Amino acid sequence: MGRVPVSEGEYRVLKAMAEKGFAEGSLEEASRILGVERSSLASIVFLLRDKGFVEVREVVEEGLELTERGLSALREGLPEARLVEYLARRGGEASVDEVRGALGGEAGVALGQAVRRGFVEVSGGRVKLLVDPGEASRRVEGLLSLLKGVASGELKESVGGVWVEEALRRGLVKRVRRKRLYLRVLGDPRRILENVEPEVSRLTAEMIRSGEWRRVKFRPYNVTAMPPRVLPARKHFLQEFIEMLRDIMRELGFREARGPLVEIELFNFDALFQAQDHPAREIHDSLWVKEPRYASLSPYSDVVVRVRRVHERGWGYKWDERVAARYILRSQTTAVSARVLASKPRPPVRVFTLGKVFRSDAVGPTRLPEFHQLDGIEGDYNYSFRDLLGRLEEIAGMLGLKLRFKPAYFPFTEPSVEGYVRLPNGRWLELFGAGMFRPEVLESLGVDYPVGAWGFGIERLAMAFYGVSDIRKLYTRDADEIRAMRLHLR
Amino acid sequence: MPVLRFRVERLRKLTGLELEDLEEALFRLKCETEVSDDGEYIEVEVNPDRPDMYIGEGVARAVKGLLGREAGWKPPRVVDSGLALRVEEVPQRPYIAAAVVYNVNVDDVFLEELIQFQEKLHDTLGRRRIKAAIGFHDLEKLPSKQLYYRVAPLDTVFTPLDYPSPMKFSEFMLVDERGEKYGSISVDRERGSHPFLYSGDTIIAAPPVVNSDVTRVEPGTRSLFIDVTGTNPKVVAQTLDIIVTALGEREGAYIGKVRLEGNTPWSETPLLTEKRITVNLEDATKWLGVRLTSDEAAKLLESMRFKVERARDDELEVLVPPFRVDVMGPVDLYEDMAIAIGYDKIVSGWPGKRHGGEILWEHRVARAVRELAVGLSFTEVMQLMLTSPHYVESAGFKPVAVEVLNPVQVEYSVLRPSILVTLLQAAAFNQHRRKPIKLFEVGHVVYLEEGEPRDELRAGFIVLDEEASFEDVQAPVYSILEILGVRFKAEPGRHPMLMEGRTSTLKIEGEVLGWIGEVRPEVLEAYGLEYPVAASEISLEVLGRWKSRT
Repeated sequence: MGRVPVSEGEYRVLKAMAEKGFAEGSLEEASRILGVERSSLASIVFLLRDKGFVEVREVVEEGLELTERGLSALREGLPEARLVEYLARRGGEASVDEVRGALGGEAGVALGQAVRRGFVEVSGGRVKLLVDPGEASRRVEGLLSLLKGVASGELKESVGGVWVEEALRRGLVKRVRRKRLYLRVLGDPRRILENVEPEVSRLTAEMIRSGEWRRVKFRPYNVTAMPPRVLPARKHFLQEFIEMLRDIMRELGFREARGPLVEIELFNFDALFQAQDHPAREIHDSLWVKEPRYASLSPYSDVVVRVRRVHERGWGYKWDERVAARYILRSQTTAVSARVLASKPRPPVRVFTLGKVFRSDAVGPTRLPEFHQLDGIEGDYNYSFRDLLGRLEEIAGMLGLKLRFKPAYFPFTEPSVEGYVRLPNGRWLELFGAGMFRPEVLESLGVDYPVGAWGFGIERLAMAFYGVSDIRKLYTRDADEIRAMRLHLR
Repeated sequence: MPVLRFRVERLRKLTGLELEDLEEALFRLKCETEVSDDGEYIEVEVNPDRPDMYIGEGVARAVKGLLGREAGWKPPRVVDSGLALRVEEVPQRPYIAAAVVYNVNVDDVFLEELIQFQEKLHDTLGRRRIKAAIGFHDLEKLPSKQLYYRVAPLDTVFTPLDYPSPMKFSEFMLVDERGEKYGSISVDRERGSHPFLYSGDTIIAAPPVVNSDVTRVEPGTRSLFIDVTGTNPKVVAQTLDIIVTALGEREGAYIGKVRLEGNTPWSETPLLTEKRITVNLEDATKWLGVRLTSDEAAKLLESMRFKVERARDDELEVLVPPFRVDVMGPVDLYEDMAIAIGYDKIVSGWPGKRHGGEILWEHRVARAVRELAVGLSFTEVMQLMLTSPHYVESAGFKPVAVEVLNPVQVEYSVLRPSILVTLLQAAAFNQHRRKPIKLFEVGHVVYLEEGEPRDELRAGFIVLDEEASFEDVQAPVYSILEILGVRFKAEPGRHPMLMEGRTSTLKIEGEVLGWIGEVRPEVLEAYGLEYPVAASEISLEVLGRWKSRT
């Protein structure tokens, strides 16, 4: 028959039982005899019971317990004994005031008890010792040992009736009902010890240093049990997605540009040939700034002259410089592309920008008042629509997506195209809008070569990549949700 | 974008196509389609550049061309209608154009579509009836061939469409929602007047608000008299052209001209304006990247319903029909050629990777900072830049904050002037989780600098704990900056959200890089934070500029 595995704690208790020859007793007695702390012994005996080594009985007992006062008497001596000691040191006599000074709050009790026992007499404000200290301490020894017995939990009520009465009366002890555990070892503890084998739960540095590990068996774990949940500190998944897009554009040879978030309509709309009465410029579509409302257009006077000419010729209305000067929260990153072209870069031009745009929308499951766009432009003297379509396929391909082109309409491109991709759920997602900038746009910006442009909405694409159906989840404030987000490898 | 609802059966009859082919053709014509569950209707989302496709006849014209069943453009038959329209001074709505289309033969189904056609034209080209508004009348119900367009007092009496008896226009304005919606466009409150269209002595319309019941169009109506009024003469004339050329596509239909006199730029309408555009083949080839012979190009354009008048080796003379109001120049024709070819057939291969790609320095720095922050156990949050004025004001930023003029929700009505404004809101959201809570955010802030709005990319860091203090953020921020090799100096500083005496300003070569400090208790309270927070805000633009120099 194999030996029964036991934990280190169990082994220690069994070993102590064998050495001390413990057969039965209360938990408190066992704790004292075996030298094992009561609370850990309490849990170990139940484990030993389950293994059939001991019997554990629970008994409700009337018992005594030390009060605060009893504890202090045990620690510092009974008040009357302290008084006797004090007087003996003072040559057998002291004034009441001196006694009070020496014994403090205990002085009253000490005097009362000492007088009653005939240890002292009080007369004319003087306290006089009547017995020798050895005699006095012998006479209170019974009470003191009662208190010690109660403190150790050894004493049963039947012991020392008269002292119990006094201790109760003086408030040194109180009666309590308590549950006690009684243990009985089933059989000879030495035999039991021979039939068990200790197992170690933790391998400690000490065990390695001492070589103890050679002598022990390691307790097997329940390795299929669930661990506690821990979460790593993380970068935000949407930002990671954005950085991936930046990497793709860089790999394709595009240089990143930026432009102001608080833009002027000149670049957000007018330079892009969007007429001043275009629906996108109406109050319910875009967001404007309360203060200041207008910017100075003087840094852009050349653009202003060309934009006015192009609008008045193309759309046939009186173009208003004041409208173009209004500050607006950029509604499309194409505004940045317009600024880049207005700086007249030498072709070939390959520039992208990635940033926030703003729209007049309430926060909801499919819309936000601000989201990210990626805009790219590419231009050269021999650049064509065919090159643009190829580039768009390439970008989609780098994202692992197959494109379908759909002719489309945007005020600033001709031809215009939308790219659709099929999601794993079978739905078509509009990935981008694109096209060749109209000659009117190129003229406004002072560019003399064809330029292809495209704009991606990033949030909807990210939602498809991360399987998020509510756009608000992309901007969750719940740090644990971010930390627990599924990681997607590309 | 305008969404049109057509009866599938009608479109099938008009085009001779099965539903699937029809949807495919519409996709190539920029439309998105969705068929109703019972299969009876098809919803077609048409782009606003093609108002000629807001009616079945226009859709069929385009589809049949694309699929090669018809080609080119033949102007409709036009006769003199014998109608005359005298235009008087109408300051609030000066322009009117009119025409007749014979043999339209209205039935239930067509009437439904005609009304939709009118509504969609109003909403788009007409800019909600301001630039142009349309009135359809039963030609045979016109009391007189002499028409007048003029203003009359607001209490002028007539019978509005769908009303059983005559009433004052001013009363109609009060009781009918059309009055409320469109009255402000055309009522002249000062003079107490409104435009009216008369046939003889009878009012047949109060444009752009409502027609009279006298000339009501109903199933059985054979021919239509059409008026278009508005503030923009070009749009007024284009709208009428689009309508008559679409209705003219109906079996046996033809067009009648109306003579105009008085205060009008035109002597007769419709104008049926055709444009002539020269397409240089070399230019088209360069723009599209597709080599085309003149014959091929001509065929493509004819399939898009343009008329090619003359084809030479190097260029084409193209006649743009009156309904293609979107065509402004050659590039618009290039697009139609590309559509006719099919975008999927144009594309050929990937242009490929190239050298010279580059990410902005501030973003390169941001990546490094994020990487290191995560290593220091900070988790990244991303939040909207728009926030509630409460957080901006209680943080003491009101004087430099940029507010939205027309916010949709007050909770999103001001741009964060500091990254800590949103980061502390995230801290409050997470404050009851296991501590310490360490968060960071990278994003733009917007603030006024010398009265002008300016944005800046920043990084923010917070540590929230039972006892969070300066050092809890100082140590990781210093660690990040040191690893990036930044040589900075710290000095006692100020930040509206951080405690005086416990705030440092970091500087690079004298320029402020950022701040570190303990958040003021009054700010904690305003943000609903029950724990102390140590925080830092760093400008990634300053860091990026510095990095790009070194």
